[in-house]
Amino acid sequence: MTQYVFRRLISIPLLLLGVATVAFFLSHFTQADPLSALVSERQMNNPEVVAAAKQRWGLDRSLPEQYVIYIKNLVTGDLGVSFRTRRPVLTDIAERLPATLELVIFAMLFGTISGVALGVLASRFQDRPLDYFARFVALFGSTVPVFWSGLLLLYLFTVKFGWIPGPGRLDARADPPPFMTGLLTVDSLAAGQFGSFLNALHHLVLPSFVLGWSVTGIISRLVRASMLDALGQDYILAARAKGAGGARTLLRHALPNAMIPTLTIIGYSFAYLITGAVLTEAVFGWPGIGSYAVDSARTLDYPAIIGVSLIGASAFLLANLVTDVAYAYANPRIRLE
Amino acid sequence: MQLRHHETRFVSVRRRAIMAAAATMLTAAAAFPTVGLAADGGRPVVVARDMDLNSLDPARAFCDTCQIYLSSVYDRLVDLSSDNKSIVPMLAKEWSANDDATVITFKLDPNAKFSDGSQVEAKDVKWTLERLKNIKGGIAYILDNVKSIETPDAGTVVVTLTAPNSEFVGSLTAPYAGIINSDVVAEHGGDAGEDASTKDTAEQWLLANSAGAGPFVLESYSPSHELRLKRNDNYWGKKPAVGEFIFLQSKDAVSQTQLLESGSADIAMQVDPTTAKNITNENIVVETKPSFNMVYLAISPGAKNLPHALDAKIREAIASAIDYDGIIDLTVDGKATRLAAPIPNGFPGGGVGEPIKYDVEKAKALMQEAGVPDGFTLNATYPNVNQYGVDYTLMMQKIQQDLAEINIKLELAPVEFSVWREKVNGDGIPLTAVFFAPDYYGSSQYAQYFAMMDGTVWYKRAGGKSDPTLANAETPKLLAEALAAPADKSSELFGKLAGVMANDHVILPILSPDAVFASRKGIGGLRFSACCNMVLSDITAE
Repeated sequence: MTQYVFRRLISIPLLLLGVATVAFFLSHFTQADPLSALVSERQMNNPEVVAAAKQRWGLDRSLPEQYVIYIKNLVTGDLGVSFRTRRPVLTDIAERLPATLELVIFAMLFGTISGVALGVLASRFQDRPLDYFARFVALFGSTVPVFWSGLLLLYLFTVKFGWIPGPGRLDARADPPPFMTGLLTVDSLAAGQFGSFLNALHHLVLPSFVLGWSVTGIISRLVRASMLDALGQDYILAARAKGAGGARTLLRHALPNAMIPTLTIIGYSFAYLITGAVLTEAVFGWPGIGSYAVDSARTLDYPAIIGVSLIGASAFLLANLVTDVAYAYANPRIRLE
Repeated sequence: MQLRHHETRFVSVRRRAIMAAAATMLTAAAAFPTVGLAADGGRPVVVARDMDLNSLDPARAFCDTCQIYLSSVYDRLVDLSSDNKSIVPMLAKEWSANDDATVITFKLDPNAKFSDGSQVEAKDVKWTLERLKNIKGGIAYILDNVKSIETPDAGTVVVTLTAPNSEFVGSLTAPYAGIINSDVVAEHGGDAGEDASTKDTAEQWLLANSAGAGPFVLESYSPSHELRLKRNDNYWGKKPAVGEFIFLQSKDAVSQTQLLESGSADIAMQVDPTTAKNITNENIVVETKPSFNMVYLAISPGAKNLPHALDAKIREAIASAIDYDGIIDLTVDGKATRLAAPIPNGFPGGGVGEPIKYDVEKAKALMQEAGVPDGFTLNATYPNVNQYGVDYTLMMQKIQQDLAEINIKLELAPVEFSVWREKVNGDGIPLTAVFFAPDYYGSSQYAQYFAMMDGTVWYKRAGGKSDPTLANAETPKLLAEALAAPADKSSELFGKLAGVMANDHVILPILSPDAVFASRKGIGGLRFSACCNMVLSDITAE
């Protein structure tokens, strides 16, 4: 197993190099003006200004030259400077990634807990009203677009009822906790700022619900199917014969076995949510990596686009690895070699 | 299975414990206030805005939000008064020009101090303006005709121009001409030399710090998220009423309204008139004020692969076939004014003459005269934006309908702004729509950008390089005369220039949208400034 994990880990840099190469050439072949964030409209007729901007940002060099310089810098951990924010891409990502991670962690927690609960209930009450309800909730969650549900819930709970604070991670007037991890809930607790902790938690409610709901649908359907399969097995019959009650049979015997395939989905969902949080971040004004990616793409900010691509790819690669390892631990029949 | 008595009790105890914990959390939430206070104890004023900041360096920035930030942090030599046309002293307490407006002498106010308490000196002015010119970013073009900047003493700056320019002093009201503390910024990589475009490395430092003599200082900046400004305690002028401003990134009118209605923001800056109309909250005040922004259509006779030459008659036919008032009603609920020429009303020469009339019969006749009564198809690539409250797709759909009346079929192609820039500067776009906001109070910027004469952006885009007949010989002459003339005469000459630009029918001003300020009750002093967008030091909060 250690050897397997080691082999997977050393293949990651090579895969990331491939991703960087594809992202570099794709973004450079786009028919758009990378100077739109660098040279004002009024200066576009001044060849001196255009030339100075190209020289400063290395855009006067040939594409292969730009590529070699980029990869060389990448190897040393330098992702370049964003055209749009004018700051190192690594700084931008380090500032914004925790926001996305915090949102995704809470969304996953909500999605997993509610998905498993709904799946178990649906299997326990198969083909009864509760099962139909659970299936409807799952279907709704995985099909309703985030921009619709997000805006609707914001309108209802923020504007109409005033129960939930508006967009953002923290009230603008709240005292932000000192930076430790970038996760506001963790940092505020660590700093003893209980008010800021609750404020951050309050802001997480709607976006993590909206984002996590799609995962609820996927997980509940899978848990339901796996549970129905497990409940038909001989060991369940044996447990019942030994006098185990309904709840015990369901939760202690069937659920652990039904959770094995679910682990895979949870792992993939985590990576999917990191890269797929774009719309949720846009609707809830969440200053994460998703909104950064969208803004960068709009201005053809090459360094930022490639940087975000690398983060997305890393998330998928690591999530896959963790999922495979977790799967092997959960199911002793699986051997990773 | 039944729960035994002690288990029932345990569950009950646990439930009570959970409820107690929840109650404790709620009590704690009330006991631990999260709202921060500004340094003077006043509540920070939160502004919801889609921040288009591309830099916080005066020499490199160019955007609407940049205007607000820079004018709040960096005082300029001169300011634009609230009447939006008078140039008033700022760091320069007085100035004078020679007879032909080629040598301008500024006398600095001896009370002027930077935020670190140091004196604003002539060397700072010289360094700042030379840096702005040599970095070749932002709006360096305002200094294109500066021959030299001399500092005979610490309180005097003498600027010599290569040609008369009666608008030069006005152009220094631009926030990008904000004076920088040269010693401080030079220490952090600032360079004003001729090769500053490659040598200057101060931008990174200026993203986290400010070094100006304005009423506010930069507290913190997180791109596309938040910008915090706090009052400059060393400010040498009238202290602003609000101790702290927090600009909160909010993409669209709906989100901004939600922030305002929920109390998370005090001011929303980009609420369009249609959204504003639906605000029913009685604690929110919506004000509209005329702006100097312009939404316009541009025709490029030199664009590649045209189905038919876009000659003067066809351009006039297009201009006459557009239902301008209908567009204003449709896109901004009537909250806009029409412009006769690509110079805004209120600027020198602006508002002279009547805007072109919507006259379909005349347009049809012109198409007949041009020999194309059956029309043709035109590509209309435009940036897919909502700018100044105008949804460009909605506007272009209306124009598509209007032009169909004269058998011109528009193929609408909404694209990202960066894609639009590549196309418009490359092969050209036969018919497009875009927007313009002034950098300062003065009309020469419009002539230098829109007029059909060599060297302007739209002359090149319209195809002037390949078709020199597009150039209007009268334009450069009128511009030079206007810049050399005294104020009254200058305004008259700019009026003539505006007429020439309007008759070219290359740039068709569609509307000048009103600025909408939505704010909570108790917020005062909101106004639209021609140079600086919103003036933070004027704002009051109860």
